[in-house]
Amino acid sequence: MTRAEVLTDLQDRFGDEILNFSDKSQNRVYLEIDPRAIVRMGTYLFRTLGARFNIASGTDMCDFIEVLYHFIIEDLNLLLSIRVKLDRENPEIASLSREIEAFNWIERELMELLGITFTGHPEPKRLLLADNWPEDVYPLRQDYEEWDETADRTRGLNNG
Amino acid sequence: MSLKLKALLKSPWVFHLSTGSCNNCDIETLDCLTPRFDIERFGMLLVGSIKHADVLLVSGSCNRMSVERLKILWEQVPRPCLVIGIGTCTGSRGLFRDSYNCPVPLDAIIPVDVYIPGCPPKPEAIIAGVVKLIQKVGGA
Repeated sequence: MTRAEVLTDLQDRFGDEILNFSDKSQNRVYLEIDPRAIVRMGTYLFRTLGARFNIASGTDMCDFIEVLYHFIIEDLNLLLSIRVKLDRENPEIASLSREIEAFNWIERELMELLGITFTGHPEPKRLLLADNWPEDVYPLRQDYEEWDETADRTRGLNNG
Repeated sequence: MSLKLKALLKSPWVFHLSTGSCNNCDIETLDCLTPRFDIERFGMLLVGSIKHADVLLVSGSCNRMSVERLKILWEQVPRPCLVIGIGTCTGSRGLFRDSYNCPVPLDAIIPVDVYIPGCPPKPEAIIAGVVKLIQKVGGA
């Protein structure tokens, strides 16, 4: 399929779920979709279109939590970034790691660093943070505050 | 100077530990071993086990996960042991000072004998730092 065919195909299949479509450049397209459609969308891109799952990235945008799933169709040199906006109070989205193994670790990382709940994740435990890290403290949230009273934030000099 | 320390300084065997560094300091450390710089001519040898080491060479900003491993290694190392901190991260933690994952600097965890600043330090600087360390503790 050519680039134009892929994009029209996606719009035909996921017309209702695509909330915003941004054709940024020749090799970059942003699709904002309904979070409920992520499993269908992800598996369609991965299994049917043969896209490679590159990475997922999350950001706390203050009003909502944004997750970008980056898929690359290498034959077309096209990077599709699937954007979902999650409720900041209760960020929850379906897990893709049962369908695609590559989602497993990045979802665990997003879970511990931003506090997103991935429903149906086969192994919802921490990946990177230390074992003594407190529950419900998410370091990449905008309202993160220092919890460790033993932490030293000086340069090691007397004047700080 | 004890006989042990004197023997140690003749040929310091180095154990290299990265506590979450960006790998640049590790690359420069390995550079020291290449024929161009060749620190083996000073008798320094990189060893694979902490139990053979005379010098513990630490790079990186000591994050919460690696600090636990660093403490385990420090308990196992045969005394006397000298500690070298390579790079700005081990000295002042550099830009990771306010990082949620780097609560304390290296010298709050184990005693450090010499710091080699730089991001990353050049192999020449690393060699100069080690030579200064040997002079400091009373070697040749």
